[in-house]
Amino acid sequence: MIRSAFAKPAAAATAAFAVAVAAMVLAAGPGRAADPGVADIVHRTNLVSYFQGKDGRARVSMTITDDQGRARARQFTILRRDEADTDSLRGDAYRGEQKYYVYFHRPADVSKMVLMVWKHLTRDDDRWLYLPALDLVKRIAATDKRTSFAGSDFFYEDVSGRSIDLDRHELVSTTDTYYLIRNTPKDPGAVEFGHYDMYVHKATFLPIQTEYFDRQGRKYRVYRVLRVEQIQGYNTVVEASMEDLRTGSKTVLAYDRVAYDSDLPDNIFSERFLRRAPTRHLR
Amino acid sequence: MLATTASRFTGLAERRPRGITWVMVVSTVLLGVLAGLPSLWPTSFPMLHGVMVDTDPENMLAGDEPVRIFHNAMKRAFSLHDMVVVGIVNDEHPDGVFNPESLQRVFALTQFARTLQWPDPDHPDRRIGVVEADMLAPSMVDTIEQAGLGAVSFSWLMPEPPETRDEALAVRDAARALPMLDGTLVSEDGRALALYLPLTHKDLSYRVRSALLEHTADWAGTGDEVHITGLPVAEDTFGVQMFYQMAISAPLAMLVIFLVMWWFFRHLTLVTSPMVVAMVSAMGTMGLLVVTGNTIHIMSSMIPVFIMPIAVLDAVHILSEFFDRYPHTRDRVRTIRDVVATLFAPMLFTTLTTMAGFASLALTPIPPVQVFGVFVAVGVFLAWLWTMLFIPAFILMMPEEKLAGFGHASSNAGEAETPLSRGLRALGRGVAARAKPVLGVTAVVVAVAIYGIGTININDNPVKWFEPAHPIRVADRVLNTHFGGTYMAYLTLRPAADADAGLEAYREGFRERLRQRQAGLVADGLPEAGPVFDALAALADAAAAAADDKAGFLASLGAVTADRLDGAPDDRYFAWDEAQVFLDAERQRDEIFKAPEVLRYIDALETVLSETGVVGKSNSLADLVKTVHRELLLGAPEEFRIPDSPEAVAQTLLTFQNSHRPYDLWHLVTPDYRSAALWVQLTSGDNEDMARVVDAVNAFTAANPPPRGLETAWFGLTYINVIWQEKMVAGMLAALLGSFGVVLVLMAVLFRSPLWGALCMIPLTVTIGLIYGIIGLIGKDYDMPIAVLSALSLGLAVDYAIHFLSRTRATVAAVGAWSTAVGPVFDEPARAITRNAVVLGVGFLPLLAAPLVPYQTVGVFIAAILFTAGVGTLLILPALVTVLQRWLFRTPSGADQPAGTVPSAMTPDHGKGV
Repeated sequence: MIRSAFAKPAAAATAAFAVAVAAMVLAAGPGRAADPGVADIVHRTNLVSYFQGKDGRARVSMTITDDQGRARARQFTILRRDEADTDSLRGDAYRGEQKYYVYFHRPADVSKMVLMVWKHLTRDDDRWLYLPALDLVKRIAATDKRTSFAGSDFFYEDVSGRSIDLDRHELVSTTDTYYLIRNTPKDPGAVEFGHYDMYVHKATFLPIQTEYFDRQGRKYRVYRVLRVEQIQGYNTVVEASMEDLRTGSKTVLAYDRVAYDSDLPDNIFSERFLRRAPTRHLR
Repeated sequence: MLATTASRFTGLAERRPRGITWVMVVSTVLLGVLAGLPSLWPTSFPMLHGVMVDTDPENMLAGDEPVRIFHNAMKRAFSLHDMVVVGIVNDEHPDGVFNPESLQRVFALTQFARTLQWPDPDHPDRRIGVVEADMLAPSMVDTIEQAGLGAVSFSWLMPEPPETRDEALAVRDAARALPMLDGTLVSEDGRALALYLPLTHKDLSYRVRSALLEHTADWAGTGDEVHITGLPVAEDTFGVQMFYQMAISAPLAMLVIFLVMWWFFRHLTLVTSPMVVAMVSAMGTMGLLVVTGNTIHIMSSMIPVFIMPIAVLDAVHILSEFFDRYPHTRDRVRTIRDVVATLFAPMLFTTLTTMAGFASLALTPIPPVQVFGVFVAVGVFLAWLWTMLFIPAFILMMPEEKLAGFGHASSNAGEAETPLSRGLRALGRGVAARAKPVLGVTAVVVAVAIYGIGTININDNPVKWFEPAHPIRVADRVLNTHFGGTYMAYLTLRPAADADAGLEAYREGFRERLRQRQAGLVADGLPEAGPVFDALAALADAAAAAADDKAGFLASLGAVTADRLDGAPDDRYFAWDEAQVFLDAERQRDEIFKAPEVLRYIDALETVLSETGVVGKSNSLADLVKTVHRELLLGAPEEFRIPDSPEAVAQTLLTFQNSHRPYDLWHLVTPDYRSAALWVQLTSGDNEDMARVVDAVNAFTAANPPPRGLETAWFGLTYINVIWQEKMVAGMLAALLGSFGVVLVLMAVLFRSPLWGALCMIPLTVTIGLIYGIIGLIGKDYDMPIAVLSALSLGLAVDYAIHFLSRTRATVAAVGAWSTAVGPVFDEPARAITRNAVVLGVGFLPLLAAPLVPYQTVGVFIAAILFTAGVGTLLILPALVTVLQRWLFRTPSGADQPAGTVPSAMTPDHGKGV
């Protein structure tokens, strides 16, 4: 079980890492954009971030703290089911469509609210919202995934994953512990950032810190992994934060009751189960 | 006693003329250095105060003024910033600015505005400037709209500039469909749009405005016009122009006074001495102002212009006296001694009254006005001191031959035959002969003045401090015609401090709701809720025994319940979870701004606001909820309403927060949902209009008390201006009465007679009454400069009466009766008064050249007051003296002469050359 603070990319590395890094550097060489090493890193990162196991679930405590220290808390359960039953990198087999079911527990006045996303590979996602107080199921257009997730500093895309096909990736540098990957959007008009830099932990391929820069090159948004645990053999981020440097707001997500491969049935990811929550899976 | 003091002054000037000059020059230079060094190299001289410019009208109120503390606390609570408003108007294109070319330019301008940030000089790691996250621009705000198949979409209103006419018009229509944007971002006529640029510091608005104007300089000929306004811009721009004013008006005043004096005395060298006194007094005062850590504010920037004409007056007296006497003796030392002995007392008293008039401004509760009053008083004192010391010293240092030809022995005869002299003598005879009609006319004037004062309209508006053709005034007019208004005020709603009932009262409702929820859950098919909620009720009783208040009660009960949930057997888990939800709902009962009845009250308030005729637009949490609710329900117009439960409100808001700008919500309500702010956009920044809106809200809340014990309070720059105006009006009355009292006492002491003292006050009282009556009658708003003038002009205007009455008394003492004294009094003394008025009036006229209206107002009105006071003195006093002569000249002449040498001060030759 890994249980270490990953607050900074400069976190300590072991000697074993160093050997691995040396091999990596020889094989890949830093800074070559078209290097297959980059693609490999990016795919591994994509896998451990969003595709581990054939399904996953977690109880999430979300705390949004503004620049004045005023905090708001929300609690929800997030269920994920992958179309692909494998985590194999070969032929990008791990990549496939995904379904997310987000059920709000707290605060009381939004409890039983549900957000459901069908994540597609080649077209816009489908998104539904269930508002129990209005007894309303609503489709939400998802042409833009870079909108706030439930009022937090995380975007939809941060929670469910940004398609790696949308950016050009470049290995900027390699340290003892990290690969620094620079991602530049292929369609700059579609996103608010100019580029973002990921500090990918060499041993786990978890992006430990991600920094977003605007078109003028000013850093305005930072994602940090705060805590990692190994759960059912998967390296799992159990605490992470997103900070908006322009508003001074910061959101911390703490993941509890994490479970993988619990055979979530496909049918609960449907409009029918928005009104009638699959309570068994939400404990 | 005054006589000995006078001779000491002259003695010093005789013995040490160069020493006096050195002391004067060195002290002034020293002050200049002390003020200049820290201004130029602030870091090298941290212990000294440099020049600090303060252009913020907020500082018209002290920093600890409750309204300002509240304003700043609320700005922080709602994360609000003062805003620059950039309007783009196109009158040439049939679609207004909603055409692809114009929107392309708007898009580029927005991108440019986003970059307007600079390193913070105080905190190098931070940046100051435009607050990018809170900017309002078509490319930076979300639209909520129907997206087909019953879907709702949150997307950027204008992510990219449109390429076709249809796309351009779609941007317009989408924005117009959203109440939050209609009338704010897009004009209600659909032809113009506005960008709102919040600033980290409002004193950056001039810089931001300049950058925007430079960026849009090449828009000429495109049909797009850029108008930039907003109170911060007006205030900051005013500060910049203030320096032009100081650079124009002060030197111009110097030049004008110099020319008038040269014309009077026709002796270049001699005339430079009063100019030196004026310069030294003005520079010394400004030096003192800076060194003592005071700021250069709209008021204090006028100090030099006030000091210079007043400073010259005493010197003019000495020079003209010297001018008359010197040709008779050709002995400088003796002449100077006589002149100073003669003039010492009246100059002292006129100086004291002038100082009293200005110093009385310290009675106002407005710090910049206090500073202005006190420092002009200091400057007047400096002018008196250096006049008494330096002018004699200067004359004694001049080479004898330079004085040759100065003054005219025969001037008396020549003077007597000028039209002015003949006119004044005729005036004197006429008034003395028709005293009662003159007083009758005066009484009528007073009556009209009183009526006029009753019609005075108290109002001010910092934007109107610019001339009507100034781009800021133009922008103000154009934008407030197109949009809901560029003047921001905010109305907050918060629970009163004692709005919460006690724990016992709360628990009654708590028990009731607990039972209801229990029954509801059991009915919904969760039978375990029965025993679990029973257990919860028991736990609640235990928790209540240990708790002091509601918050403590819910917190301890919540902790116990969480433990029970963790240890709950499988079949009871969901029931315990429901128990926790119930407790969380109890906690959320404090989130009053999710309550539908509260939001409906806000809605009603907005209707009241819109009916005032001044509020073009208001935005609130209620508008946001209604809009999102409508779009969730297929955009149906009838769904533009507040939903029926707090949960529905909360879920509507959480839906909104899935947009690009979830934090926009916190500009309308605080995250604890305990305070809300209504954004009120006024089309006018006139204080009277803001006051009308405040009254309308007060009337409504009095008739319809807000739910949940909510209280209303205002903040925002437009509102703050109203408060300082109210304080100013009350404060100026105090200053006026204070100054009146002090001058009256001084006069009673000077004349050793309350009757003569009172008589002295009459012309200026009538004058000030008349001027303010006229202000009321012509409909000129009683604004800041007008208010300030009342108290200070009193101290200046009394000078004429002092001169006139002391001279009258001396002449009557000499010739025996008023009827025979009229002639001599209306000779030289009347001429002196007339010419004095000319110097002062002309001295203030350069204020008319200032590009800013308040300075022009001051120039016009102070000239009017001084002119009217001069005329009033020459008309009313002789008439009154004629009527009252029995009481005024009761005692044998000479028995109750005023203090010191006042009568002899008004020797027949006095003032001749002036």
